[in-house]
Amino acid sequence: MVVLVKLHTILQRSSPEGMVREISLELAEPSLLKEILRILEIPLKGDALILAVNGRVVDENCVLADGDVVSLMPALSGG
Amino acid sequence: MKIWRADVRQRLVNITDTPQDWERLGGRGLLARILLDEVPPTCEPLGSRNKLILAPGLLVGHMLSSLDRISVGGKSPLTGGIKEANAGGTTGLHMTNLGMKALVIEGAPAEPGWWVLHLSREGGSFEPAKEFAGLGVYEAAKRLLERYGEKVAIAMIGPAGEARFSAAGIQNLDKEGVPSRIAARGGLGAVMGSKGLKAIVFDDAGGEKPPIADMAAFREAQKAFTKALLAHPQTTIYHDYSTAGMTRMCNGFGGLPTRNFSAGQFEKAEELSGETMRQLLLSRGGESDPSHACMPGCAIQCSNIFGGEDGKAIVSPLEYETIGLLGSNLEIGDLDSIARLNYQVNDLGLDTIETGAALGVAAEAGLLKFGDKEGAMHLLDEIRQATPLGRVLGHGAAMVGKVFGVERVPVVKNQAMSAYEPRAIKGTGVTYATSPQGADHTSGLTIRAKVDHLDPKGQAELSVKAQINMAGYDTLGACIFAGFGFAAAPETIRDLLNARYGWEVETDILQELGKATLSLEREFNRRAGFTRADDRIPEWMTREPLPPHNTVFDVPEEDLDKVFDW
Repeated sequence: MVVLVKLHTILQRSSPEGMVREISLELAEPSLLKEILRILEIPLKGDALILAVNGRVVDENCVLADGDVVSLMPALSGG
Repeated sequence: MKIWRADVRQRLVNITDTPQDWERLGGRGLLARILLDEVPPTCEPLGSRNKLILAPGLLVGHMLSSLDRISVGGKSPLTGGIKEANAGGTTGLHMTNLGMKALVIEGAPAEPGWWVLHLSREGGSFEPAKEFAGLGVYEAAKRLLERYGEKVAIAMIGPAGEARFSAAGIQNLDKEGVPSRIAARGGLGAVMGSKGLKAIVFDDAGGEKPPIADMAAFREAQKAFTKALLAHPQTTIYHDYSTAGMTRMCNGFGGLPTRNFSAGQFEKAEELSGETMRQLLLSRGGESDPSHACMPGCAIQCSNIFGGEDGKAIVSPLEYETIGLLGSNLEIGDLDSIARLNYQVNDLGLDTIETGAALGVAAEAGLLKFGDKEGAMHLLDEIRQATPLGRVLGHGAAMVGKVFGVERVPVVKNQAMSAYEPRAIKGTGVTYATSPQGADHTSGLTIRAKVDHLDPKGQAELSVKAQINMAGYDTLGACIFAGFGFAAAPETIRDLLNARYGWEVETDILQELGKATLSLEREFNRRAGFTRADDRIPEWMTREPLPPHNTVFDVPEEDLDKVFDW
């Protein structure tokens, strides 16, 4: 299955073309969200990282489905 | 530290000792105490019995990072209740260097005319301000700095405050002398206008930092706080991405106000993101800077300088709230246009949140096409010319809704909501509904919590915790972002206060101050005539589902009514 991963602020990745903020990932079915954190080597955890799937807060044990939009958001209090 | 009183009728300034009851308060808490003690809550906000009060927070004056905020307060002509509007910039620091615990501006002038209130170590004097009257804040600030010197701090109003529009705020200078740090919400600019004051100039030459009871303990606590702040991941994020880092996050949750609060996701959110802004500013160079400190010594530097392709600054700062209310809320999807609108709103001395919301309601009423940035600029011109339409707009979103028959008006206690949709971020909706400040963008945000923001359960508990902490920070003089340093090292608040004042407060002092402040504010509002009916989200938001999640605001009324039962 394929999921779209949205990387926020400091989790963006550099590439020769510039900063990348969206990645399509192919995953085995079923996969937990924590797999994405492992594959992408996300350095934040716990309170500092907010996870959402299709716009709703989840934890890293969320079971993903094909076509899910996964947001990895370094926590921000507000603005 | 003394209480400075400026009587605008007699044009005299008196300096008196601080009453004992006021000693242990500062900032927002002190405002609430003084307003309860001295202002009849049923008074006319633009009349002689209202007072305009400026009070630095308890820890202001020592260049602790992110801890020099100024609180401005009075009875709000917009909400009819108590109002504290908070700003960064240099006003707080100058006030403490002059030994001011609070500046209380009282009375009403006997005849029309504009004045500058000049405050220095010599005391205070009123000077005629005819040559500054009618000027936008950028030109007025330039001339005031020429007249009074480059080193002064200034709190001033624009044409909107002079015209007493309810969306008018009070601008303060940043450390470069740019007059764009606004105490924005609730129309205190109109109160200042009703007192005949165009500007208050603070000249702290010859002044000195407030005394510290235990310097060694203070320095130690300062080190611990600064260390915690610098180590916190949020510091880096705000430093690099500004508050604009919130755009994709809130949009991701379906909470970004779009087309007058009719949807929670904007198709051009990526173009309005902090990620895009950072790239843009770095590539443009010149005067652009994605990081900028509004207060000297701030380590976070969440502010920015937004410049154009020609390398010249357009506006500083460009904040998330403005990106929401003057951007997605109006279907305007490019940062350059929002920056230009922001500059005009600043120059008028208006609150971008209230003005953006007003323009959104105007668009709903057919006065503006969604997406029409030139049209939006034209409506700002109407405000500047004080045409009948401009006057309606200048009084905020609810006024526009009333005059033009629009039901979809996003306000609580008559004040416009900020860029978090209450139907998608329900905890923030509880804050909007119940805060004594009206719908407010800093008094208790909940988006950072790892909860399901769409579940009405538990949101009231989340909101009240946040409201108590924010009221505490506002009383200390802390930017709410200093909060992450304090959250990581909570004992430093206690240690800083005890070292500064020789007190013996406990570790829960932040919550003590927050609860005291909220209780005083709610009492003022109760005496002003507010009831539980005023602690509600607008009815249409309890009925109309918000795409994409298609939820309504459904936190039960019993939960809203129990928020302050601690």
